[in-house]
Amino acid sequence: MTERRYDAIVVGGGHNGLVCAAYLAKAGLRALVLEKREHVGGGLATSEIAPGARVPALAHTVGRFRASVARDLDLYSHGLRLVQPHVRAVSLRPGAAPITLWGDPDQTASELARTSRHDAAAWLELDRRVRAHAGVLDRLMSLTPPDPASPALADVLGALRVGLRYRGLGTTDAREFLRVLPMPIADLLEDHFDTDGLRAAVATRGMRFTSLGPRSAGSTQVMLADSAGNDGGLAGETVYARGGPGALADALASAARSHGAEIRTSAEVAAIREADGRTTGVALASGAQIGADVVVGGVDPKRLLLGLIDPEALGPQLGWQAGNLRLDGVTAKVNLALSDLPRFTGLEGDADRDRLRGRILVAPDVGYLDRAADAAKYGCTSGEPWLEATIPSLVDPLLVDGGAKAGIRHVMSVLLQAAPYKLRDGDWDACRDELGDLAIRTLETVAPGIGALVTGRQVLTPIDLERDYGFSGGHPFHGEPSLDQWFAWRPLLGWARYRMPLEGLYLCGAGAHPGGGVTGTPGRNAAREIVADWRRRN
Amino acid sequence: MPQQYDTVVIGGGHNGLVAAAYLARGGMKTLVLERRHVLGGAAVTEEVFPGFRFSVASYVVSLLRPEIIRDLQLPRHGLQILPLDGTFTPLDKDYLWRTDDHGQSMREIRRWNAADAEAYEEYGLLMVEMARFIKPILGIVPLDPQRPDPREAMPLAGLLRTFSKLPRRQQTAFVQLMTMSAADFLDQWFETDPLKATMSASGIIGTFLGVRSPGTAYVLLHHYMGEIDGAFRAWGIPKDGTGGISNAIAQAARSFGAEIRTEAPVVRIEVRDGRATGVVLESGEEIHATTVLASTDAKVTFLDLLEAGTLDRDFEDGVRRFRFRGSSGKVNLALDGLPDFTCLPGPGEHLRGAISMSPSIDYMEGAYDDAKAGSFSRRPYVDVVIPTLVDPRMAPPGKHIMSCFVQYAPYDLAEGTWDEQREPFGDAVVDVLAERAPNIRDLILHRQVLTPLDIERTLGLTEGNIFQGELTLEQLFFSRPVPGYARFRTPVRDLWLCGSSAHPGGGIMGAPGRIAALEVLRSRRTETVRAWRPRWRRNGEGGAGEAGTALPAEAQA
Repeated sequence: MTERRYDAIVVGGGHNGLVCAAYLAKAGLRALVLEKREHVGGGLATSEIAPGARVPALAHTVGRFRASVARDLDLYSHGLRLVQPHVRAVSLRPGAAPITLWGDPDQTASELARTSRHDAAAWLELDRRVRAHAGVLDRLMSLTPPDPASPALADVLGALRVGLRYRGLGTTDAREFLRVLPMPIADLLEDHFDTDGLRAAVATRGMRFTSLGPRSAGSTQVMLADSAGNDGGLAGETVYARGGPGALADALASAARSHGAEIRTSAEVAAIREADGRTTGVALASGAQIGADVVVGGVDPKRLLLGLIDPEALGPQLGWQAGNLRLDGVTAKVNLALSDLPRFTGLEGDADRDRLRGRILVAPDVGYLDRAADAAKYGCTSGEPWLEATIPSLVDPLLVDGGAKAGIRHVMSVLLQAAPYKLRDGDWDACRDELGDLAIRTLETVAPGIGALVTGRQVLTPIDLERDYGFSGGHPFHGEPSLDQWFAWRPLLGWARYRMPLEGLYLCGAGAHPGGGVTGTPGRNAAREIVADWRRRN
Repeated sequence: MPQQYDTVVIGGGHNGLVAAAYLARGGMKTLVLERRHVLGGAAVTEEVFPGFRFSVASYVVSLLRPEIIRDLQLPRHGLQILPLDGTFTPLDKDYLWRTDDHGQSMREIRRWNAADAEAYEEYGLLMVEMARFIKPILGIVPLDPQRPDPREAMPLAGLLRTFSKLPRRQQTAFVQLMTMSAADFLDQWFETDPLKATMSASGIIGTFLGVRSPGTAYVLLHHYMGEIDGAFRAWGIPKDGTGGISNAIAQAARSFGAEIRTEAPVVRIEVRDGRATGVVLESGEEIHATTVLASTDAKVTFLDLLEAGTLDRDFEDGVRRFRFRGSSGKVNLALDGLPDFTCLPGPGEHLRGAISMSPSIDYMEGAYDDAKAGSFSRRPYVDVVIPTLVDPRMAPPGKHIMSCFVQYAPYDLAEGTWDEQREPFGDAVVDVLAERAPNIRDLILHRQVLTPLDIERTLGLTEGNIFQGELTLEQLFFSRPVPGYARFRTPVRDLWLCGSSAHPGGGIMGAPGRIAALEVLRSRRTETVRAWRPRWRRNGEGGAGEAGTALPAEAQA
């Protein structure tokens, strides 16, 4: 028999699914979240990789989370605590001095000035411009993209809001905005900086979680989007959730519940049921069926359209397009439990400890990034991958409070690129450990002896991201954030308004505008549209 | 007493000549000044070796705007375009051979993959629709988003309206063409690797990008935009080589009363009180003109021909940021006979079209990776044409010429200079050819190798970029060559750009020359009206923003 107690079912309890459910419940809908895994949060998870050692499973910073959503859902009274160190990132380069990017642009500039006055001045100028440009993008991100066929009044108003912000840039910055948006980030940075290491440190922000290289058009847009709606600027955000990223997921879940939403974990949805073009509910893997007029996909568009909907209802054209969505990931994750704090070349002093609280980059030069991305094009993992690591235990010692007797003093979270989802030869199950070794080998180049400190590790390859987290193609962003899957054509042109081909079916995940990253914006925007439709109907 | 003209055009390349023709036709006393002894710039035919005449640089035509052919009555002035039939992609044992005979191409592709054959049909139809939609862009003046001029906004608004009415499918295709990589775009349709590789090749020509670089898909359209006598997608080679086009245009220009001088290198553009007043030749001769048009590229025009300090910093920085990054070379061979391909032996129709050395996507991308690392491609992509098969008079009886367009050849080499690398580069090309047609080595009588450096030296194209500046997303439309100055006007009043550095860019298209000339004529007509406007407004003319207005003489240090 079918339960019928819900107005809306959200498939997938990732942060966007939770945000969406919370907003729906807040608006008075009876919302149910169904999560396949035993914990909610999806990519926002804290996992215990060794007794008493907890580490960010996938995403390690949460600074992009939209402030207005945190306010609307009152997350701070649901236990969310954020930590923002002064340092944003430090780039470690074998045989060269580290480059530190601080939260305060002037501090960064004054340190850069020691090696290049020009770069110091350029830093301040570009940081200012990035903040201005990101401001325009932020307006764009909070919009529901217009319908290319029939722009409505709301679209016009939205366009005006963006337009005003754009005009506010002033002639020069506005012209720059249109010029840099599609630009390869390496070109943009070469226009401004002399120091290659500095270029590389910033360029990683245009490549993180994507298969774009530093010389790929559109990588600048990825960097700007990363700074949109937060205090990132040119250095980028580095904000930790106390207790690990999972704590943000828990706060979201508790907020959703407080508004009356229901959340079920270990509840895998097998299919979305429909009758004559309308969703009628979902069928669980357990065989149980739950009815609801509205079904919202927090999963990626490929899984939603090709995995959960009857192909008949979808139609061949859309099926073909969904099959061609580009969402093969190149990101792997290696999490380490360490018996002590590693000694990083050039940062031995205790005074330098502060510099390790942000993102630790192994990305010595632009050519290095280029080669790392190139390898993935041919289905190989680069022998010299670039890394973005954090040591969250430095800012949040409680993560390892239980690890003392196991001799664990720190945990390290390491993003590794590029590791392509589709390997030309071999498969990920066979070379999972190789990948872990590669990560440590690469870390050794900047932290000699770190290998000896590793007492436990967890390796997540793209295939694991697909299996354990449900990211098709192992892409944490639910699809490449490149210009061809952007704004009014994300995930597909004509389906960017969160409404999917069945009546009552919506997409609220990172596969929808404005895309991936821990922002909560797609979930918030989708909820806005769902509630509007709901009110129109009832 | 220096001569006085209404308009002087710097550079006798095809765009300069087109501009001159339109200006003269509009009643302007016009003079063209060409540095070299021959006209045509990159569209030039020269007898490189006794009896062997080559289209030295640019070698095929497909984009020459039909309105130009009509307006200037080029056929009457000797323009004749011979069809170049099909594309032949030789492989180790097999080959892929598409011709203009649709049935044949379909059979050939079906031989490789039945599904691809069906997709090919659909794809072709879609691309023709796309080409129809995009074409108008090649004819309009890019508006300045900061100072929208209603007259320029109109055609754009029209374009938007058309877009909103297109079927969803075509809208999607358009967005993808503007943003995707050629490889990704084609992956949606096809599986046959040589087919994808050969098609994607058109996306990288003249750019420092690989077939997997976003933004390369757009150029796939050019194949379908080419028009000869109104027929879509026909590529051709001009009779007597690409110089044949230039000469026809020159003929037309003269017939309208334009004067053309060769071996008259311009060394300086004269500027007084922020207005161009004429040019100075190497000989020291001064020529006065009310309007100066430069068909030279942005760097040559603004940084070499203008006195330092004429332009303000912001604009100059903008010009310095404009990317050239030449990436292609040319190898011209004089042959004793025809190459014999092991995969399809003997002479035959397959030699009459383009012969494309593009076996696979990875091969193409590998060639690019070499260039990114700062060396020429060890195994380059080569686009071969044997013009003598359709135009025998280019070589002595029984002999042939072979034109090889090569990518990649980066202007900046990580090691060595191009003067040292020239011959090794030529060898790499011959090696690639010999892999598929071993007899080529014995056939070569003479060999001319053009590196990006040679192209810069002889043709005056900065960094050897054949498009006078890369055709990348950030250097198109209202950002070409400098944001805010995409309307052929420059910060210096009465100095205009009319070359490929301006919208819509390179290729033997003639569009920049034509639109620039028409804009000049129009602005001349409104001159009287403008004279009644207050001075500050007049300075605002031509999109010269506060950032860009040239400093008056007295304000210069």
